Amino acid sequence: MPEGKDELFKKLSDSVVYMDESLTVQLSNEVIDKGYDAYEAIEKGLSDGMERAGKLFEEEEYFIPELLMCSDAMYAGLDILKPHIKTKESGEKHRVVIGVVEGDTHDIGKNLVKIMLETSGFDVIDLGRDIPPQKFVETAKEVEAKIIALSTLMTTTMEGMSEVIRILNTLGIRESFKVMVGGGPISQSFADKIGADGYSINAAEAVRLARRLVGGAA
Amino acid sequence: MPFERMTPIERLTAYNKGESIDRLPCVPIVGNTAARVIGVKVSEFKGNGRLLAKAHIEAYRLFKYDIIRIFTDLYTQAEAMGAKVHYPADETAYLGAPAISNVSQIDGIEPADPYKDGNLPHHLEAMKRAVESVGKEVTVTGALTCPFTNASFLIGSENLVRLTIRNPEAVHKLCEVSLETSLRYAKAIMDAGCTPSLTDAMSSATVISPKQFEEFSYPYLKRLIGYIHSRGKSVTLHICGKTNKIWELMAEAGADCISIDNDADLYEAKIKVGDRVRLMGNVRPSEVMLQGSSDDVRKAVIECVKKAYDNPKGYIVASGCSLPTETPFQNIQAMLDTVMEIGYPVNFEKLEAQTLTKC
Repeated sequence: MPEGKDELFKKLSDSVVYMDESLTVQLSNEVIDKGYDAYEAIEKGLSDGMERAGKLFEEEEYFIPELLMCSDAMYAGLDILKPHIKTKESGEKHRVVIGVVEGDTHDIGKNLVKIMLETSGFDVIDLGRDIPPQKFVETAKEVEAKIIALSTLMTTTMEGMSEVIRILNTLGIRESFKVMVGGGPISQSFADKIGADGYSINAAEAVRLARRLVGGAA
Repeated sequence: MPFERMTPIERLTAYNKGESIDRLPCVPIVGNTAARVIGVKVSEFKGNGRLLAKAHIEAYRLFKYDIIRIFTDLYTQAEAMGAKVHYPADETAYLGAPAISNVSQIDGIEPADPYKDGNLPHHLEAMKRAVESVGKEVTVTGALTCPFTNASFLIGSENLVRLTIRNPEAVHKLCEVSLETSLRYAKAIMDAGCTPSLTDAMSSATVISPKQFEEFSYPYLKRLIGYIHSRGKSVTLHICGKTNKIWELMAEAGADCISIDNDADLYEAKIKVGDRVRLMGNVRPSEVMLQGSSDDVRKAVIECVKKAYDNPKGYIVASGCSLPTETPFQNIQAMLDTVMEIGYPVNFEKLEAQTLTKC
């Protein structure tokens, strides 16, 4: 009996959850061979798998190594499926500019947030790590981002976050962007203090926050 | 304010024996804030053991806390093994680039010589000077980065955590060579009259699972701690972030005292492992110590003491992690003052009443 579309998507999702990169690649090729819709396969297969992985992470069943392995599988599948997406279906995506603030090179947290945001349909521009405040603002203006997402693990570099907001204020463009912050030493009270629009404690929560923020801004 | 009657060493010695003391031991974990005490830039510590010693001696004299910890950043051993460390003019150093970028280069990594490589000789000099100057009254420790965390600086943390699943053997190789450096450095620290103070940030359950901890951190910690014990020193082990699921293993590895971050609960720790290890922590370094008022510090200290003062193996009032460089002096002072005010033996009812009137 031929395998149905939904069963294949479910298998694709499972292959991401179980960190099986080669199986994800094989199944993604199968999607194309059978002429199924690539966008739907990403949504119901890869993204669904990543969402389930994120849930396991929140439940402390999965930790950072597992989540990274899942994302490796997801990206491998994405490389195959992406070229087959019909452009009209990809639609307008909300842009997010993300990076680790200057003076800090810890980027696992930022990378996880990036992965989860991309999985959830955001268009993420990743500046990398050790990024000067000015660079966040320039890029956000240039690409017409909706959100600027700032990360740091170190108490010594938290100040860079408020600097970004100060620059936005000085330029009179604070209202054009939502600023979200996160990382080890960051808290809701710090976010409030520097006038950020939101704080999230982990990558899964960051997605919910980003959705709320663009919902409000749209 | 009552006067302190004891030197830190007298206090800890008496506390260990269950004898009477003037106040609970207290360790605001001062790191590069010491630079602010003597008015120098953080980067001036690089290659200057004399200055690093001076800063920590003066910081101790200013606040009179119970343990000195010579520390600038977590990367000293990795730097001595080839990692690139970036030194901003006046902020804590950070990892510029790991020593290697892929698994094929692992065999090229050599354990460090603490008397020759990187900044290790200068840190050793600082420890020696501090011991000579104030070692009779206060315990001087030297920060030592544990094998798994050091391994993450050798190949990059994201790389390393992926390898825990993809290539466990490579992780063990990196931990093994890191352990060799740790053992050599621990020996040098103890030969300088100092005690190693263990930090294993990446082994946190915020990063790896308790199962991965058991496989990749625990065996190396156990060997490292075993060696330090063989030299007659007790061991404090600090792991940041979430740790409640690995406390048992931290104790099993031989730690005499575990220093826990504010993502962990002192009361829960007391119930779970308090009969096996001393607890240290966990006033919030950033929210309370850096950004809070003296009164916030006071409240936080009282909360911690209420949770852990009767820990069977004892309790040291401390910050959850190293203090941020710009932590206001008044907040560090407030921590010590509050501990003095609480006094000893701790009167729980009195503390309870204080919290109520304060809130």
